[in-house]
Amino acid sequence: MASIKLKGDTSGELTIQAPAVAGTNTLDLPASSGTLLTTTGDGSQLTGLPNSYAGTKNRIINGNMRIDQRNAGASVTPANGGYTLDRWQTYINPLGKYTVQQDAGAVTPPVGFTNYLGATSTSSYSITSGDYFSITHNIEGYNIADLAWGTADAKTVTISFWVRSSLTGTFGGALRNSVANRSYPFSYTISVANTWEQKTITIPGDTTGTWVTDNGKGVALLFGLGVGSTRSGTAGSWAAANYISSTGATSVVGTSGATLYITGVQLEVGDTATDFENLQYGQQLAMCQRYFEIMGSSGSTSNGYAVCAVISSTLTRGNLWFKTEKRATPTITVAGTWYSLPQSITASASFFPSNTYNTGIGQTWSGLTVGQASYLYDGGSGTSRVLISAEL
Amino acid sequence: MYKLLNNLINTSPSTTVLRISDGAFIPFDPANTDYQEYLEWVAEGNQPEEAE
Repeated sequence: MASIKLKGDTSGELTIQAPAVAGTNTLDLPASSGTLLTTTGDGSQLTGLPNSYAGTKNRIINGNMRIDQRNAGASVTPANGGYTLDRWQTYINPLGKYTVQQDAGAVTPPVGFTNYLGATSTSSYSITSGDYFSITHNIEGYNIADLAWGTADAKTVTISFWVRSSLTGTFGGALRNSVANRSYPFSYTISVANTWEQKTITIPGDTTGTWVTDNGKGVALLFGLGVGSTRSGTAGSWAAANYISSTGATSVVGTSGATLYITGVQLEVGDTATDFENLQYGQQLAMCQRYFEIMGSSGSTSNGYAVCAVISSTLTRGNLWFKTEKRATPTITVAGTWYSLPQSITASASFFPSNTYNTGIGQTWSGLTVGQASYLYDGGSGTSRVLISAEL
Repeated sequence: MYKLLNNLINTSPSTTVLRISDGAFIPFDPANTDYQEYLEWVAEGNQPEEAE
């Protein structure tokens, strides 16, 4: 039987047609009652699809590792808690055992991707019980509030990612709450060295514990690069503990030159991994800039940043407006040399007070005339930066 | 180490502290992770340098 036809009471009919290819397809209906799918108009508009198939299904920002504002593709030896590619943090103890670089090793990414995060071990380090090395993504609480974790209605999530390593074996990671007293270690296997493999891990929502649902840290997704026994737990269940990885996972930092490359990281609601959600570059950059942005150009062209008012004979004041409103009032750090006109001095500016959408700039001079203006610029050195961070 | 800052425009208390190691201006926002670290540092019994 190639098709089934359901006749209407008066006219019209519905045909369920089997594909003309070998293999079995199943139309699986749930046991509960209700409308499964609704069409309107010509049938092109569908409602009733689960959230996993709608926009912004991926709770990971920069999961395809395209944005690297801080380092622009350069290799870094990260600090504990330091950020590498945008939104990707490191937890390290002790320091200096691996580097992180966008597209490290210049291998071809998986089909559909242009970039990856590459971690490379710099020594053959034997981890001790209290050591931990990880690549971590912190999801803001607002973006996981619908998961209802910490309640009886906690939703299942599925993590999917592409991974490639010079090592084979069982590797580990974990999900963890903000205060690090609830965690779910998971494991995955890399079967072939130096080959991209896609992994999928489904995790039931945590029905207990405290999960932040505001602009704080909601959920941390951690990939272990070598984690001692203190921070390693049994894979596949929630624990009231601060676990970073699964017991027995391979230590990348244990082999000098060993690599672990990751891209296409997605965390979505449901028990099925769907295709990676590709956003337009501008969307993705703006999402990253909620947490961190740089003002300043890596090129040699001089860039202006602010016009300030002279408010006394020794003081100018102005504002620097952020490209994207920040998660919280950000920390402002200045790098490189800045200049100001009309007195053409090397500027030493103060960047406060700030709020989530701008920061004040104050400069101390001499011999100014109230009512005049000054102009703050970077001199085209290519190294002058204002770093604006509201990271989790 | 940290240093308190004077408000440049008026005499109201400053809402920013300077982290001396890298010159970072850290706002008094409880959601700012650098400010959270500063509060932990103070809770350990440390005191920032006074504003000039």
